[in-house]
Amino acid sequence: MMRHTEKSAWMAGYTLLTPAFLVMAVMMVAPLLALLALSFWTQNGFEIDRTPTLANYWTIIEPSDEPFFWMGIPFPFKYPPPAVLMLKSIVVSLVATVLVILLAYPMAYFLAFRIKRNKTLWLVLLTIPFWTSYLLRVFSWKIVLGYNGAINSALKSMGLIDQPLEFLLYNPAAVAITLAHAWIAFTVLPIYVSLEKIDPSLLEAATDLGDTKWRRFLRVTLPLSAPGTIGAAMLVFIPTVGDYVTPMLVGGPGGTMIGNLIQELFLRQNNAPLGAAVAIMMMLVIGALVAFFFWAIGFRKLRSRVS
Amino acid sequence: MQRIKFIDQMSQGKLSRRDMLTKASAFGVGMLTLPSLPKAADVLTCLEWAGYDDPSYFKSFSEKNGTPNFSIFTGEEDALAKVLAGFSADVMHPCNYSVNRFVNAKVAAEIDVTKLSNWKDVFPALQTADGVVMDGKVVMAPADWGNASIAYRPDLVDDDFKKNESWGIFYDDKYAGKVAMLDSELCITFGLMLDGMSYKEAAWATGDKLKAAADTWGRKCTANSRFLWTDPTEVNQGLASGEIVAAYAWNDTVKNLTDQGIPVAYARPKEGFFTWYCGLTLLNSGKADKAMAYDFIDAWLSPETGKTLIEGSGLGHSNTKSFELADKQAVAKMGFTDPIQHMKDGTLFIQVSDQVQTEYNKVWGDTKALMQ
Repeated sequence: MMRHTEKSAWMAGYTLLTPAFLVMAVMMVAPLLALLALSFWTQNGFEIDRTPTLANYWTIIEPSDEPFFWMGIPFPFKYPPPAVLMLKSIVVSLVATVLVILLAYPMAYFLAFRIKRNKTLWLVLLTIPFWTSYLLRVFSWKIVLGYNGAINSALKSMGLIDQPLEFLLYNPAAVAITLAHAWIAFTVLPIYVSLEKIDPSLLEAATDLGDTKWRRFLRVTLPLSAPGTIGAAMLVFIPTVGDYVTPMLVGGPGGTMIGNLIQELFLRQNNAPLGAAVAIMMMLVIGALVAFFFWAIGFRKLRSRVS
Repeated sequence: MQRIKFIDQMSQGKLSRRDMLTKASAFGVGMLTLPSLPKAADVLTCLEWAGYDDPSYFKSFSEKNGTPNFSIFTGEEDALAKVLAGFSADVMHPCNYSVNRFVNAKVAAEIDVTKLSNWKDVFPALQTADGVVMDGKVVMAPADWGNASIAYRPDLVDDDFKKNESWGIFYDDKYAGKVAMLDSELCITFGLMLDGMSYKEAAWATGDKLKAAADTWGRKCTANSRFLWTDPTEVNQGLASGEIVAAYAWNDTVKNLTDQGIPVAYARPKEGFFTWYCGLTLLNSGKADKAMAYDFIDAWLSPETGKTLIEGSGLGHSNTKSFELADKQAVAKMGFTDPIQHMKDGTLFIQVSDQVQTEYNKVWGDTKALMQ
């Protein structure tokens, strides 16, 4: 009897998950497999040669005796764009992620510990930026940072500058700022949830045992909210590495990222197989980075300690 | 009836989980098959340049067939890749120098000019021009023609440049961050021309020569550009605010800005004042009725569209009657009425082989990717 209920619970679980699995299979797994297959083919003029080959991957990693120097860093590749842009994208995303966490953590802290009433209202307020499209939000940053934009006009009218500041827009910093703003709401929620779960008696105990507020935060609150914070950081870092709309609109000539290269390869250069290979490599690199990060911080231990 | 019964049962909690799942999956399957049910004839899809999707350019089409769908591209190569990847468009707007790519890729279809009521009024020389006709077949119905040159703010550039207008402004560090080039491999071509090559030689450059030019000229013009533009409104706004003082531009930028009272001059660079003619090409990937595609092309060839182009954008039109219909002042201001003379006065953009174009695309893409 026991076995039977266990089995039916197990079955019911899968039945409930079936729609999600189907969506995943159709919308995620199938395109991913298509991308993988494409990366083993080659572009031959207007045609695609379907003989399986590793040529595209070799193109990406083929070493060269004369390294290409980018920002003083040597890239010993014959075709350096993927490697260079991969590094650049990771740096831009890391900056955006750090910015997001620095901004989101206090917000989540405020929500979890300071707001006593109407919490739902505050959470709804957080989602307001999402009521408009992502594209519009990027454009609005263009208006804020632009030559005649909000910041420049304000500084000018205060008499602080004569000429508009040009370094605000069309560079990697503008990309990082825009990405940080666009992803902030995604991070507040997971951090908030992990802060909310903290047992107040632990905080009281820390105070009773003589911790100052700051030490209490460092020794109790921060470690206990780490899983949510790390999850939030991943939620920002992973998708932003491959973002291409933001750099296209606010990045200017020097703000290109790996997503732009993939788009360029698929469209203008009409080399979809190479584009697919770069996309797969990008996924592998991000996957490896994330895995390394989790291993380095001992995420498993961290989680078991919390629960 | 069935529906109400279902809701009643659900609200009374009489529905078993199994029933619920069955209904839910039936609904899901129903939703999935819904789009494949028969529907009204497909809407026409046009691959178009930014700004050319204005309804005033195809009024007679809309009156008959409603609003078409547009997919906007940055350059012809983007559009071609999209079609090759399986995007179904009915018509596309290439130019004399790029239509060969569509023909060679076997995505362009022959145009039966007898189905175009306005064809008889098209400038005879344009009816048989290179790119309009390829291998004896009409593959592009010529519509608009004009220039490509440097639009600049005479109040914001040095007198040296005004006296000696040159494409060199995009490579001059004095104007770094003050110019905007089109996101196009022409960045490299113009550099080669500054190096002393003729336009034709530069357009056909390949191999080490091209790579070296990309490393020096291509990088310089990209680095000096505030942004590489993909949409004319970016340029118009940049020039109007003074964020940029010079930009690669077509006639419409100059026309729009002068109409708004902003001082803008159109340069005649010593290395070349470029000319082009563009038109509509029928694609064989289309899903809409062919008659609709012909209606769309015919609308573009109409003198009314020509009038809009001349008065609104300062661009030429392929229909001889457009120039009679348009405001005389606008025509006079434009400074040209005869496309053939106009092409002769400038340097006409040319077609290159697929191999050269592909190499140029790659080198230009790499140049942009490796910017610091």
